Amino acid sequence: MTLAWRNVWRNKLRSGIMIAAMIFGLLGALLMVGFVQAMTENMVDNAIRYQTAHLQIHNHKFLLNEELSAWIPEAENLAASIRQQSGVEAVTARQVVDGMLASAASSRGVRINGIRPQDEIRVTDLQQSLVAGKMLTETGRNPILVSRRNADKLNLRLGSKVVLTFTNIDGDVTGAAFRIVGLFKTPASAFDDSNIFVRRSDLARFSGLDQAHEIAIRIADDQQLTELQEKITTLVEEQGVVQNWGEVQPVLAAMTGSMDIANAIVAGVFIAALGFGIINIMMMSVFERTREFGVLMAIGMTHARVLLLIIMESVLLGAVGGLLGLAAGRLMLAITDQFGLPFGAVAEGLGAYGVDAVLYPSVKGSFYLLMFGMVLFTSLVAALYPARQILKKRPSEALAERH
Amino acid sequence: MSIQLKHLTRIYNRETTFPVVAVDDVDLNIEQGEFVAVMGPSGSGKTTLLNMVGGIDRPDNGQVVIDRTDMTALTDKELIAFRRDNIGFIFQDFSLLPVLTAKENVEFVMQLQGRSQSDCETRARELLQEVGLGDQLNIVPGKLSGGQQQRIAVARALAPKPKFILADEPTANLDAQTTRDLLDIMQRLNEKEGVTFIFSTHDPRVIERARRVIVFEDGQVREDRTT
Ligand SMILES: Nc1ncnc2c1ncn2[C@@H]1O[C@H](COP(=O)(O)OP(=O)(O)OP(=O)(O)O)[C@@H](O)[C@H]1O
Ligand SMILES: [Mg+2]
Repeated sequence: MTLAWRNVWRNKLRSGIMIAAMIFGLLGALLMVGFVQAMTENMVDNAIRYQTAHLQIHNHKFLLNEELSAWIPEAENLAASIRQQSGVEAVTARQVVDGMLASAASSRGVRINGIRPQDEIRVTDLQQSLVAGKMLTETGRNPILVSRRNADKLNLRLGSKVVLTFTNIDGDVTGAAFRIVGLFKTPASAFDDSNIFVRRSDLARFSGLDQAHEIAIRIADDQQLTELQEKITTLVEEQGVVQNWGEVQPVLAAMTGSMDIANAIVAGVFIAALGFGIINIMMMSVFERTREFGVLMAIGMTHARVLLLIIMESVLLGAVGGLLGLAAGRLMLAITDQFGLPFGAVAEGLGAYGVDAVLYPSVKGSFYLLMFGMVLFTSLVAALYPARQILKKRPSEALAERH
Repeated sequence: MSIQLKHLTRIYNRETTFPVVAVDDVDLNIEQGEFVAVMGPSGSGKTTLLNMVGGIDRPDNGQVVIDRTDMTALTDKELIAFRRDNIGFIFQDFSLLPVLTAKENVEFVMQLQGRSQSDCETRARELLQEVGLGDQLNIVPGKLSGGQQQRIAVARALAPKPKFILADEPTANLDAQTTRDLLDIMQRLNEKEGVTFIFSTHDPRVIERARRVIVFEDGQVREDRTT
């Protein structure tokens, strides 16, 4: 053990270079993984906060075709009983209809969300996303919330009048004027482009329907998601389909999945590079000491002990580099956790998916362990080839070699 | 203790068109307490012979029998254990482990035998004292002279209490004075403690001290004289 440890430091420069390479490699891998993880979590978090909440219930017909007639039967009673469930934080029932938002300048297709403001603010962060004006209130005539993006595109300001057109329950096209009381901006530009919010009572008046199409549920603990989904599904029975955020936004869920794969690839590439690096180092270090191993075998060191010695040298080198690299990565992540990682230009591009402009990379504790384990394992495997080459030789052959 | 070589033969590159018969059908007996020098021109096969006597190479024909053990019949594993417990090696270039101190180098071989640390330590101190390095116990070989390193090697070779010690040109890298000192030490060990030494050498100063000189040529014994 001591022998192996001292042997590692025989060629300080070489071991040092290898360790430095591992430190930078691990640092890069950790930052990369932390960044990807932060981005994914941020995206999911934002989607849950501003858009989907944790769970949604729809009429199964609504999922196929978002028609006004595909409402959830007795949505209010259902929402009330879901609210009773432990673990459920807040529930809201919305009326949803597709329509057109028109200003004097131009018009856009949007999803009109008829909400109960008092319920809504407890389920989503709509209120927090307001950048101008105020939340919908029960008083006032036909108030509406429009995104800042749409306001800019349609040349609208607070107080501007807009016209919403959509098909009512009787199949007739109907329109109504609303006044902008607030502008919102969520991290997801695609969401902002296609959603507007009005009072459900107003919408019901124009659509001729006093029913809800969507129940959104916020839960207290992410860990309970599947459990609560199952529980609520039994509660809902035939009335509707309970979906979690991933099912509501399959693209996002798929992206989360592919991020995991991306992380695995980053880790894999690092480990492969590390493996070749260590094999290279160990080959140099072992082969240049061929004669020394000849001496060790001559004076009675068994093959098993020689193998162990070489493996220990390799694993010790890997352990030192791995620990330092992970420590450096941890430190780096601690720093970025303090100050965040400005994400500026890229955020614009990814804005459609809802990523904040400043990210806080983080890596799970288990990932450190996994990386460390893989580093040790790779070091061990990397020692096998040179060890085998040495042990194939008779001691006399090994002794005859000169360097 | 006795070493018997019977029809000992080693042919390098046997499968090729230019086989080299390095040791050619050698018969020899060496007894307990001998101080033997194997001399001969370069390429005569001295190293090859010593390698087979030491069990670090295997003959193509013949046997090496030490006491009642036929080394050629041992498995690789048995052979390693046999070498560890019965044969001491001294090399031309000292071949100490550079990362271990003088004392640790001597202890190391005894640790391989599985002896207790306190045992190893006591004996390592004694042996290094014996070869005149009692003050250099904790110094690494690289900081010592060639003569001092070779004396550590002698202590290391003696440490496992081997039946005999093989030394392939032990003085080739040493100057006249250190050669003399080393030979004094080995001679004293031989005479006082009855340690059997077998050398190969070109060095007349070594041959001078030897009590038995085996002249080797073309893989065969040309002359075997005892003074
Ligand atoms: N591994 C080997 N492969 C092929 N031939 C070898 C090998 N080792 C030694 N020989 C040959 O065997 C013969 C004997 O070599 P050996 O090294 O035993 O001689 P030596 O007497 O020890 O020589 P020196 O005094 O130079 O050390 C020489 O002709 C040498 O070239
Ligand atoms: Mg030789």
